[in-house]
Amino acid sequence: MRVVAPSAPVVLRERAPASLARLRTHLGPALRYSVLIALGFLMLYPLLWMIAGALKPNHEIFSGIGLIPQAPTVEGVAKGWKTSTEYTFSTYFSNTFRIVVPKVILTVISSVLVAFGFARFHLPGRRLLFGLLIATVLLPKSVLLIPQYLMFRELGWLDTFLPLYVPSAFATEGFFVFLVVQFMRSFPPEMEEAAVIDGCNSLQVLWHIVVPVIMPAIISVALFQFMWSMNDFLGPLLYLSSVGNYPISLALKISIDVTEATAWNEVLAMSTLALLPSVLVFFFAQRYFIEGVTLGSVKG
Amino acid sequence: MKPRLSKRQFLAAAVAGLAAPYVSAGAPSTPVTAGVPRTVELRMSWWGGSDIHKVQLAALRRFEARYPGIRVRAEYTGWAGHLERLTTQISGNTAPDLMQINWNWLVLFSRDGLGFYDLRRLPGELDLAQFDADSLAFGTMAGKLNGLPVSMASRLFYYNATTYERAGLPLPTTWEELFSAGPIFRSRLGPEYYPLDLNLQDVTAVGRTWLLQRTGKPLVDEQGRQLNATEGDLQEIAAFYRRLVDEHVVPSVEERASYGNVAPHEMRSWINGRYGGVHQWITAIGKSADTLAPGQRVELGAFPLRSGAVDAGLLYRPGMLFAINASTPHPREAALLLSFLLEDEDAVRAMGLRRGPPVNARALKTLADDGKLTGISWQGREQVRALPNQVRESGFYDHPRVRDAFMDAFELLGYGRLDVTAAGTRMHEDVNQILRRVIR
Repeated sequence: MRVVAPSAPVVLRERAPASLARLRTHLGPALRYSVLIALGFLMLYPLLWMIAGALKPNHEIFSGIGLIPQAPTVEGVAKGWKTSTEYTFSTYFSNTFRIVVPKVILTVISSVLVAFGFARFHLPGRRLLFGLLIATVLLPKSVLLIPQYLMFRELGWLDTFLPLYVPSAFATEGFFVFLVVQFMRSFPPEMEEAAVIDGCNSLQVLWHIVVPVIMPAIISVALFQFMWSMNDFLGPLLYLSSVGNYPISLALKISIDVTEATAWNEVLAMSTLALLPSVLVFFFAQRYFIEGVTLGSVKG
Repeated sequence: MKPRLSKRQFLAAAVAGLAAPYVSAGAPSTPVTAGVPRTVELRMSWWGGSDIHKVQLAALRRFEARYPGIRVRAEYTGWAGHLERLTTQISGNTAPDLMQINWNWLVLFSRDGLGFYDLRRLPGELDLAQFDADSLAFGTMAGKLNGLPVSMASRLFYYNATTYERAGLPLPTTWEELFSAGPIFRSRLGPEYYPLDLNLQDVTAVGRTWLLQRTGKPLVDEQGRQLNATEGDLQEIAAFYRRLVDEHVVPSVEERASYGNVAPHEMRSWINGRYGGVHQWITAIGKSADTLAPGQRVELGAFPLRSGAVDAGLLYRPGMLFAINASTPHPREAALLLSFLLEDEDAVRAMGLRRGPPVNARALKTLADDGKLTGISWQGREQVRALPNQVRESGFYDHPRVRDAFMDAFELLGYGRLDVTAAGTRMHEDVNQILRRVIR
């Protein structure tokens, strides 16, 4: 939990002449930052290429790796937004959020509740149950597809958003439960005992004591689930059949065929837009994430 | 019926509390048509690119205007994942009423002919006289007509005519001319220019063609559950590929790999005209022509034949078919829609040759009257008709595992990990083993 500050090169400074020391103080960061910027650029290059590709005509996209379009055009953005379907991309955005938002909320609530149970209550057979939960993480998702599909068909939920988020209400992502359990194990139960003495019941302990402390873990769970759900292709592909219900992940691939040349600039333009929510959420959550870490580490 | 109902009730009860607040928020669930008189809702699925989607949607709207009692819900995707989705739907008994299928999916879903509706049971709605016997035979499984072909497809040789002009060569018409073009391309244009580009799947197809022109037998013997080729035959294919690479006719696997895992028509060397040709389906050649950098053009080349060839060795099959769900409650309405899509003048005009030259005689006449039967895909169709084309390949040639086994052997050969003899032996062993397992 403790944050270790990176050690600065302070040892040599006293012995060196003043001018050399000044040079060194400037040279060090300059060198470090130029390396970081160069590496950062390299890492971000595919992302930049995608944004640049959205502004290129199609034949230019694959003929070079340069970023600057020779004949820039916003045709890809306009056509991509209109799509080749009866709907505009706004429909697909709103569908995505109608799946992702309930899914993230349900995942967080159910995972924290179940993790609290595993971490703090000594139920008989707890180890076995926890082992089973972890086993579900190792189970390949594809073996569940057909049985789940049949179950949701019996419920009459096909072509609705329900099969995509209702399972999250039952802590079906064992990985998230594991993550939160490990986080809870890392801090002592004395605070909770104090709260119990003060008259809290279990849920009040969870809400007033545990949740504020494990906030970083909760944010991580929400963040992971958000990104995975945004990118999920197979789930919506199987459960949603009406085009009007498609989320972004399906809509992006709807015009990619084997017999027709793909208008990649449209796909890239919409991919760029589709990336924005994830990027924004990540930057927004990152602040809380760090805040959560420091809050938890300073004082109990 | 009883246990099923109680299971449904049980499941519904188990989640009722949770689902209740959301049900209204979800999209309209599967509609019950029983209460509404005379309005039939059909579901239709297809895959395609943006052009196909637009044209197909417009055709559906015209169909609804023509038949006011029928509404059609469109369920379309790109190519990726379409088979996975259809597999789930068919196994869950929720497949659409009318669906576009690939020819080799017939062996996956309907080996006994019962996987799809027998279209011969709908003589009032479908005019089968508009199809020739050959194309109907392709859609027939175990005596039942499971699908109607939209178009027939073959793989032919298409060349970048601009590149050949720069090389000062006419388009090759024989295997010898193709082989001799390699060194000329290298000396006149440079080592990065090739007369033809083949990925490993294309190599398998061309190798098969090369062998079939001598043997005149389909490569896969479905009855015998094995290859119709000896070890020596497959070594001949391997040697053929070795020669194509050695004589600078096609780029090596190393060279192709250096461009990354990109579709052939999106490879830089194709776009810029360095790769002078492709072995492409006539239904899909449009995409290769579309991606070329401006100022270049694609032309159909003559199909090379070995001397004494008994058959051209074409891969010839329906480009795609329409099939009706075996358990649809509305077979007649689905057949009406199918017939409309294949024959209606407006629908046919709008689709043009996007799904390849149509098989349906009425559709063909509509396009002929409009003077629309032109272009490289139509020329391809005419070329196929003129070639000796009797051999019918088994659908198991396209089985993913068969295809992968061939490609693996060619890849090892290409990287020099196997010599020609060993590569042929490996194909013989691996593919035969797979065929014994997958043909049941």
